[in-house]
Amino acid sequence: MALIKISEEHRDALQEITNVAMGQAGDKLARLLDTFVILSIPHIEAMRPSDIAMALHAIDANESVSGVCQGFIGGGISGEAMLLFNDTSFTDLAKLLDYDDELDEQAERELLMDTTNVLFGACLKGIAEQIDMEFSFGSPTVLGQHQKVSEIFQMENAKWESALVTEISYELEGYNVQCDLLIIMTEDSLDLLTKKLDYLLE
Amino acid sequence: MTENNKFLDDFHWLMDVLQHIDVGLVILDREFNVQLWNAFMQNHSAKSAADILGANIFKSFPELPESWFRRKVQTVFELQNQAFTTWEQRPYLFKFKNYRPITSIADFMYQNSTIIPLKDARGNVEQICLILYDVTEVAVNRIQIQEASEKLRVLARTDGLTNLLNRKTWEQELDVEFKRFARHHHKTSLVMFDIDHFKKVNDGYGHPAGDEAIREASRVLRENLRDIDIAGRYGGEEFTVILVDTDADGAFIVAERIRQAIEANTVTYEDITFQYTISLGICELSNAVTDKTNWIDRADKGLYEAKNNGRNNTVIYNGS
Repeated sequence: MALIKISEEHRDALQEITNVAMGQAGDKLARLLDTFVILSIPHIEAMRPSDIAMALHAIDANESVSGVCQGFIGGGISGEAMLLFNDTSFTDLAKLLDYDDELDEQAERELLMDTTNVLFGACLKGIAEQIDMEFSFGSPTVLGQHQKVSEIFQMENAKWESALVTEISYELEGYNVQCDLLIIMTEDSLDLLTKKLDYLLE
Repeated sequence: MTENNKFLDDFHWLMDVLQHIDVGLVILDREFNVQLWNAFMQNHSAKSAADILGANIFKSFPELPESWFRRKVQTVFELQNQAFTTWEQRPYLFKFKNYRPITSIADFMYQNSTIIPLKDARGNVEQICLILYDVTEVAVNRIQIQEASEKLRVLARTDGLTNLLNRKTWEQELDVEFKRFARHHHKTSLVMFDIDHFKKVNDGYGHPAGDEAIREASRVLRENLRDIDIAGRYGGEEFTVILVDTDADGAFIVAERIRQAIEANTVTYEDITFQYTISLGICELSNAVTDKTNWIDRADKGLYEAKNNGRNNTVIYNGS
């Protein structure tokens, strides 16, 4: 199976849209945490299931991370958003979110969910608005805690062959907090997505 | 029909849907006072809309964790973002009865929730809507699978008769300890022992009595070990222990304690009572030990020497 193709113009347009959306998400995160958020430039690439863990730019495949995913669907565009936290991030994140409780797995799940709620909602809403769509969201699910990236993305049994992956990394200035946001869109989303991008390019 | 009547008609059936949908719908204002309470919420909480409309949600439901819920809702107001909570974070927000009180094993309804901001005509968010989903079936299935796989994990690791680690798992632990030594060169010792004249026990009192002796030996062993020591049943009447952070002299003290405790122990099986002894071999890990099999071999040689010394004693292996 050939990897899906996306033209340079479409990739640039999607990158621009994502940039705006993640900026909005970053702004909300900054307001929630009351700290400055540093964003990377979105990296967009078509990938196979087996590529994802290795292709991440911000996080090494062998690092220990915790992750959450959430499905979204709207019109003809669907996919999942994933948030991967470097496990060293939790101590500082707990401080920023005023978590006084002991930092066990349960508390870490709370931190994951709170950050996920802010970033996914804002980022996906931002993208949807710009391409004039509205998404429905599934319930967020914890993918795994304290696992290697390569373990979280065990995709031997994946039902898909290629997908469009957008990677954005967030860091908090002055804190040891690093997370990677992935937006993975299914192959069949591309038809409508490129049409929507065409409107913006005209 | 006039436009106005049509609107009222549409509004009426729309409200009917909201009222009867099998999902909890609650609208709260900034003071956390209830503005909407649909049939799902009424039926499961046994509080009618008339009882609760306008009342504070925390006063009406003390089980709802206030600071936690406030924090979630606050971000929805401030960031105009939706928020989700799942049963894995917190099994429930409201302690409702499970839908199937007779046939289900759940004590309560597991709940997921979505909190969405509601904009007024001017685009301000003064109210939020809490949508409550019953996810009891999913949660119960997940929990049962987790429990079953934990049981399987324990079963796969332990020996049925003694509840010590089985040989395969114990050897994996030995391998880890051997590799740890290669990196850190800490003191670590291996103790190997078996029951003296075990064949005579079996022949004289029968195999069930022999099993009881093995069970007793493992119980006494466990009582004389620290939590960090790793004990396993190596074979029929053979036991092995890794004593972490312990040199040969320290291991000798532990071994003698176990030997004396077993010497003083009496096995009772039905109307038979008998006593038994054990012989022990010790090998402290050093650079001379080539691999984990060699480590076992050396401890086994110590054990063999103890047998030759007349049994019921401990020998530290010092050969090369």
